[in-house]
Amino acid sequence: MKNIYLIIVLAPLLGAIIAGLFNVSRRVAHTVTIGAVGISFLLSLVVFKHIILEGNPAFNEILYTWLTIGNGSFSLPFEVGFLVDSLTAIMMLVVTFVSLMVHIYTVGYMHDDPGYQRFFSYISLFTFSMLMLVMSNNFLQLFFGWEAVGLVSYLLIGFWYTRETAIYANLKAFLVNRVGDFGFLLGIAMVLMYFGSLNYTEVFGYVQQNEELVQNATINLIPGYQWSIMTVTCILLFIGAMGKSAQVPLHVWLPDSMEGPTPISALIHAATMVTAGIFMVARMSPLFELSETALSFVLVIGAITALFMGFLGLVQNDIKRVVAYSTLSQLGYMTVALGASAYAAGIFHLFTHAFFKALLFLAAGAVIIAMHHEQDIRKMGGLKKYMPITYWVSLIGTLALIGAPPFAGFFSKDAIIHAVAHSDRIGANFAYFAVLFGVFITALYSFRLFFLVFHGKERMDEHTRHHITGTPKVVWIPLVALAIPSVLAGMFAIGPMLYGNLFDGAIFVEHSHQAFHADDYHGWFFFMLHGFMQLPLWFAAAGVGVAYYLYMKEPDLPELIKGRFDTTYSILIDKYGFDRFNDWFFAGGSRNIGTKLWQSGDVKWIDGVFVNGSANLVGWFSSTVRYVQTGFLYHYAFAMILGLAVLLALFVF
Amino acid sequence: MIKILFYFFALILIFAATRVVTVRNPVHAALFLILAFFSSAAVWLLLHAEFLAIALILVYVGAVMVLFLFVIMMLDVNLVRLREGFTRYLPVGILVSALILLQMVLVLRYWNTTEVIATTMVEIPNTTLLGMALYTTYLYPFEIAAAILLVAMIAAITLTMRARRSNKYQKPEQQVNVRRADRVRLVKMLPESRD
Amino acid sequence: MNLGFESTDIITLLPEIFLLTMACFILVVDVYLPEKLRHLTYQLAQGTLVGTLLLVISIYPSSLTLAMDNMFINDAMGALLKLVILAIVFVVFLYSRSYLQVRNILKGEYFVLGLFATLGMLIMVSAHNLLIIYLGLELMSLSLYAMVAMHRDSAQAAEAAMKYFILGALASGMLLYGMSILYGVTGNLDLAAIATNISDADSNKHTALVFGLVFIVIGLAFKLGAVPFHMWIPDVYQGAPTAITLFISSAPKIAAFAILMRLLVDGLSSLYVDWQGMLILLSILSMATGNIIAIAQTNIKRMFAYSTISHVGFLMLGVLSANQAGYAASLFYIITYSLMGLGGFGMILLLSRVGFEAENLDDFKGLNERSPWYAFIMLILMLSMAGVPPLLGFWAKWSVLNQVIQAGFIWLAVLAVLFAVIGAFYYLRIIKLMYFDKSEDRTPIEANMDMKITLSINGLIILFLGLMPDMLMAKCLKVLQVLI
Repeated sequence: MKNIYLIIVLAPLLGAIIAGLFNVSRRVAHTVTIGAVGISFLLSLVVFKHIILEGNPAFNEILYTWLTIGNGSFSLPFEVGFLVDSLTAIMMLVVTFVSLMVHIYTVGYMHDDPGYQRFFSYISLFTFSMLMLVMSNNFLQLFFGWEAVGLVSYLLIGFWYTRETAIYANLKAFLVNRVGDFGFLLGIAMVLMYFGSLNYTEVFGYVQQNEELVQNATINLIPGYQWSIMTVTCILLFIGAMGKSAQVPLHVWLPDSMEGPTPISALIHAATMVTAGIFMVARMSPLFELSETALSFVLVIGAITALFMGFLGLVQNDIKRVVAYSTLSQLGYMTVALGASAYAAGIFHLFTHAFFKALLFLAAGAVIIAMHHEQDIRKMGGLKKYMPITYWVSLIGTLALIGAPPFAGFFSKDAIIHAVAHSDRIGANFAYFAVLFGVFITALYSFRLFFLVFHGKERMDEHTRHHITGTPKVVWIPLVALAIPSVLAGMFAIGPMLYGNLFDGAIFVEHSHQAFHADDYHGWFFFMLHGFMQLPLWFAAAGVGVAYYLYMKEPDLPELIKGRFDTTYSILIDKYGFDRFNDWFFAGGSRNIGTKLWQSGDVKWIDGVFVNGSANLVGWFSSTVRYVQTGFLYHYAFAMILGLAVLLALFVF
Repeated sequence: MIKILFYFFALILIFAATRVVTVRNPVHAALFLILAFFSSAAVWLLLHAEFLAIALILVYVGAVMVLFLFVIMMLDVNLVRLREGFTRYLPVGILVSALILLQMVLVLRYWNTTEVIATTMVEIPNTTLLGMALYTTYLYPFEIAAAILLVAMIAAITLTMRARRSNKYQKPEQQVNVRRADRVRLVKMLPESRD
Repeated sequence: MNLGFESTDIITLLPEIFLLTMACFILVVDVYLPEKLRHLTYQLAQGTLVGTLLLVISIYPSSLTLAMDNMFINDAMGALLKLVILAIVFVVFLYSRSYLQVRNILKGEYFVLGLFATLGMLIMVSAHNLLIIYLGLELMSLSLYAMVAMHRDSAQAAEAAMKYFILGALASGMLLYGMSILYGVTGNLDLAAIATNISDADSNKHTALVFGLVFIVIGLAFKLGAVPFHMWIPDVYQGAPTAITLFISSAPKIAAFAILMRLLVDGLSSLYVDWQGMLILLSILSMATGNIIAIAQTNIKRMFAYSTISHVGFLMLGVLSANQAGYAASLFYIITYSLMGLGGFGMILLLSRVGFEAENLDDFKGLNERSPWYAFIMLILMLSMAGVPPLLGFWAKWSVLNQVIQAGFIWLAVLAVLFAVIGAFYYLRIIKLMYFDKSEDRTPIEANMDMKITLSINGLIILFLGLMPDMLMAKCLKVLQVLI
């Protein structure tokens, strides 16, 4: 199996290198990368069968030790190793499948782009990095993967680097992620400090054996206050997750990241990279379980993100941004699940969401191609008759998103709401309200988008209407391929994932925190029937109804409402002022400080005195001292004798 | 008896050594140096160091001094100029000699006369002992020393012997192989017009 | 009758005996070879090195063996150093061939003298006796003096040889004087006997011993090129033909390191407090002088000379921490250094051609345009010399600094890092010249295929060993465990 794992990881890297570094043709570029990711996907299926279907034990091995620092009592190896258990196997499958679909889709979407090979190289590199991240068996490699996906994300948001907005967006994503990564790195440092190891097995093993001890360990960060080490560590780690998985207040980069090409939005900013934070917290479940405080923190942040980001989806008019805000909101749901100790439910939602959100993004991309890169939904409408396949797959995706049975999203979302309802953690009541009301909002903005794009009056101009293009094969095949799991993934996965023992050994939940009990479960069909008697479904139905009324029956009403609730509307359009605040306080403030420091510190002291001063000094010294080397033999001999005299004087007498 | 012989040779040695630095003619000085070597060889013989004595005569008298004489004769040194510095350098010379004398006095003060080896090992000849030591215990350094001498020889030859580029010599094998076509070219040309 | 050696000693000495025999054989053969077959000399010399290398491997010691009345020691460190020396000389011959050919100094004598020098190095490496150390050193030095002077049409070379010879003789004299004092105090030439004698010597002998030690350290410092006994290095490096400079700068340093280990560690380890102090002084001076003066150089050979001096300073850091791990770090450093030096001078040889010595820094301008690949190799070499991770040079610096810190000289480590930073400047300047300046010279690079391949491997090894430094480091540690 070891070789299979290696091939899974290295094939996309090889593809990326070939497509990116060698001056290959377009054809070669996409053949090589699709082939490589295809291999990874097929082998991931093998791994899936090996680990999950056949229930083989997890693979955990160190493949390469770069170096070891320290010796004796403390040593820290820098290793590359794989830990492949059920959690990893699922992530591998999701990553390689969505990546493969996006690769194929890109052939059509990026058809005329001059940076074709570069794009394929980047997405293959991303696949490699993401696999390194999920397959890691230590914090260091996790961090490597974490930064590597961040790098590729940065490169891809700014893929069209001549656009000023794209450059702004990728810089923003980069900076905001730095904040998260800083926390993450501190968290890793805390782990290293307390456990003295960066290997998962060693850290988690220690935790499980010395639970009491670890739980009660404290640290003195501010003199006079004792903080629980686990709480500090977990919150720091979660700050990393907040950056990558775009949780409030570090979410601001994700909507802007829509400046990148749509396949990227599907792959990186919906299905895989943004879920890395969720994956990471689930992976760290043995640590998080020990801190009630940290879990409450996670729960509240997730709930805020889930509800308030959903509101923003209501007022957006850019097709991709609406989907982006829905992604934010759904990531909030996953985070809520983590906070409620329902890691499995979080991963389950991650799993289903990857399919239907990638589907929605790719469908949005198909619409954008058809509309010749017009993204404003106010200028669309009635597209159903022009692009039937896209229409139907979008309907599937939307239904899955709002949680309509029996689509995939229903099961995962219901499970999360169920888990929150059963949690008695601080903040759980608020979270329950948030996720429940969020269901209504989700349904409302999702169908608003759906109706505005595919139904109603055709609002585009004459010229565009005549040139609406059909959907090429490379575009609709991935759509259909993603639609299938969007329908089916929920019903088949719910049993083993939530009520089975699939995640035993991978995810750890305190017994008292368990929300899902195997004896409550009687198959997915009964779960669905049960859902009909629950609030969420009716909230969703209400959302759809309101959307139908507002955008199909009475299309003038929204304008009226907008006028009536002017203040609320401007707050929403302003995105709660996060961006303005950040621009004013952080960007402006640090620029101000920077300018001051630059003028006084850099120019005068560092450049003037230290850099140029010391360089000049050394240079002057050097050119002076070189004249000691006169070239005369007797001077040399004299220097030797002088050296002799000095040594004798110092050491003998 | 040995004492008388020792003083005899020692006096000759001191006399010869003094003459080396005082005679005006460098050839004479060289000859006095040879005499000094001979005398010290004789002193060594008295100490039963026959190998060293013979080596001194063979190497220094036989090779070095002959070379010395060659050099002196070939250089045709200007005697007067050679003498010029004598008085000027005399104080330094005296100082150096005095220092050496002082050092020897210091050494001799601690000299332990009971440990003179030569008197205890008369039975085995000195040469045999040296040979034994060189070819058994010290075989390895001896061989390395031989290699060093070889390198010195190679180096000396490499650095001095050269085929000068200006040298001109015939290459018979090429001369023999020459054909007419290589040397003579027949050119047909119209007679020049006279005007 | 006591022959002074056992018959098994012959086997232990087989590599040296083979090398000597072959050197003499080549000397004779070369005289009779017609001009057309001169390349045979080269092949024979290379064959000799390979043969010697195989012999060293075949008698690779599992434990410490003494031979020739304890004058010869065969241990793991010695064997490793011999292997490295032989491999380096092999590469040196390979790099030098076409350079010497076009300058009409590719003669049999070059190879013969080279082989004799190599023999001297092997003898030094496995010397276990003051006499042998001295003789080996002289054998090596004498050959080197002659090699420097070989290019007789060059006044520079003659001057360099003269300086090298006279200063070398002075240093040898000091070393010999130190040894004689050591002999006088202990009554022994054998290193092990000296070691035991010193460890139970009474304290009033101490002054005399340290007095001798100063002279010994000076002799060693000269051979390594530590300040202030370094003055010969820049002049000789610059004056000698580049191929010879390549020779002088690589293998002999390893041999010098070997006798440093033999004398100070094997023989005089009880005096470590004293030689530690001396090495600290020499090391600081070397790092400072080497790195600072190198900045002002415009001739790349001269720059490498000062770079060597600074590397010697770093090398001493490991030894002066006076424990096994420290020696291993130094061993690692010297091997790394010789690999880098080999590549650096190899590049100069590569760029040189008939009537043109690529000696000035400006000759590296725009190398990237002329040949991206060799610019890349040079980039690796320069970054490694500057100590940029993850290249081998970084690990070498890192391990000696680590040992210095472990030994408690944190201030020294800080100082060393400071000088390393200053030193990075002139390495980076070459990179800047290669990549950011316009080339004035547009001639394509021409060289033999074997040289191109070897040079590329030379560079890549530094990269690959840098990626897995543990391999070499473990080897260095292991060979030293046998030593002590």
